[in-house]
Amino acid sequence: MGCEEFQQILSELEDSYSLEQEQHLKICPRCSALVAELNAIAREAPLLAEDEDPSPRVWNRIEIALRQEGLIRDSKPAPAPVRTIRWGRAWLAPVAAAFLLIFGLLLYQRGGMEPQTRQLVSGTSQPVTTCCSPEDVSAEQAELLKVVAAQEPSLRAAYESEFKAVNAYIRDAELAARRNPNDEISQQYLTNAYEQRAMVYEMAMDHGPQ
Amino acid sequence: MLRSMRSASVALLAVLALTTFAASQVRREFHFSVHHRASISIFNQYGPISVKPVSGHQVIVVALPHSDKVEVDENHSGNRVAVSSRLLPGADAESGRVDYEVWVPVNASVILHSATGPIHAEKLHGDILLEGNTADVDVRDLSDGHVHVKTLKGPVTLTNVTEGHVEITSVSGDVALNSVSGPLVQVNSTTGNIRYDGDFGESGEYSLMTHTGNIDAITPRYASIDVYAHSEQGKVENDFLLEPSHTSLAARAGSAFAGTVGKAASSVKLLSFSGRIHLKKR
Repeated sequence: MGCEEFQQILSELEDSYSLEQEQHLKICPRCSALVAELNAIAREAPLLAEDEDPSPRVWNRIEIALRQEGLIRDSKPAPAPVRTIRWGRAWLAPVAAAFLLIFGLLLYQRGGMEPQTRQLVSGTSQPVTTCCSPEDVSAEQAELLKVVAAQEPSLRAAYESEFKAVNAYIRDAELAARRNPNDEISQQYLTNAYEQRAMVYEMAMDHGPQ
Repeated sequence: MLRSMRSASVALLAVLALTTFAASQVRREFHFSVHHRASISIFNQYGPISVKPVSGHQVIVVALPHSDKVEVDENHSGNRVAVSSRLLPGADAESGRVDYEVWVPVNASVILHSATGPIHAEKLHGDILLEGNTADVDVRDLSDGHVHVKTLKGPVTLTNVTEGHVEITSVSGDVALNSVSGPLVQVNSTTGNIRYDGDFGESGEYSLMTHTGNIDAITPRYASIDVYAHSEQGKVENDFLLEPSHTSLAARAGSAFAGTVGKAASSVKLLSFSGRIHLKKR
């Protein structure tokens, strides 16, 4: 058997060889080397299949390079149908008005804008300390005073006067902050006033049901 | 004879009264072993609390209830000790009162709460938090630790407190600081008056702020401060000749003064919304 004949049937051969083919392999270094290489490839091929795909970064870099060269472009979405009605900025005014109304109502409920202070804001340039009138306790504070009185009646009057005092502080501080919104001292007064009220709440609640 | 019998009866009645009184006051004493920087809290609705340092790693609590309508509970977990007065049904400010005397390691952290007080702490180096509604709070000779005090109406007095942060909040209690200095000293009040008598230390931020109360700051001529004082409606007075300082705070309505004394080592803010402010030279 010659090399040409052996190599023609090589693809059909599996692991076993005939006597004639084995004898040819023994005497032909060229064909035996070829068989050895083919066997090596057959051994390594399954191992290559288990390798992981390239990391996503590789694909990203390839994509970036292709975009830079203009070879790939984003597909533009189909344009939306044009609406004939244009809102412009007209919607801002009623929304802003609604927001201011809600904000004002919240402030009013928190005792920030009693009727007499509204007059002061429009009329005078200096705040007047409004303190200690019977109306200066909010409904929420009145409820808390009931809780305190239930536990310790003697403390009710003390807490009531403290609530009135801190409410007056907050009113004055808010007036000052509104007049000087960027003023550091006014902001500090406001912060302190709210901290004082928070402390009164905290201490009053300590007297609540255990 | 009749007189001697009468005297004997009076004596017997006195003895009986004292015995009854003593029986209602059962002294309780607790000893706890703690480590470095222990944490001790005393919660007492009615009655005084006094805290002093003791050598060694121990906490000693002596509690004297005034009636059987209040009990003393204690809890010791590791380095934390908590003692509290528990009111029983029918207790009031008198019958629910417990007198506490407490000794703690000098660097312990201490939390004291008493609605009526008084509350006293002295010669400690750890952080302390004192809370009271109408309690008279007296703190003296503390250093290195942070001092926090909160009262509603109770007056607060600090004497010789140095090297720590001091934060005092009182709604209507008057606050007096005598020889108090540190990196941060802050007093906030709504209607209480604030009085500071000291040299404002060598560096620090001092803020004395009140809504309607007056502020009196008495300091020696050698004080080194950068001072800003302002009152929206009240008067401000100053006994020092101040060097002008650059501050954006000066341009406001109301009465104010600003400037430096000496090397301006400490920053001092004196703010009263409608009260009077006086920087006095001692």
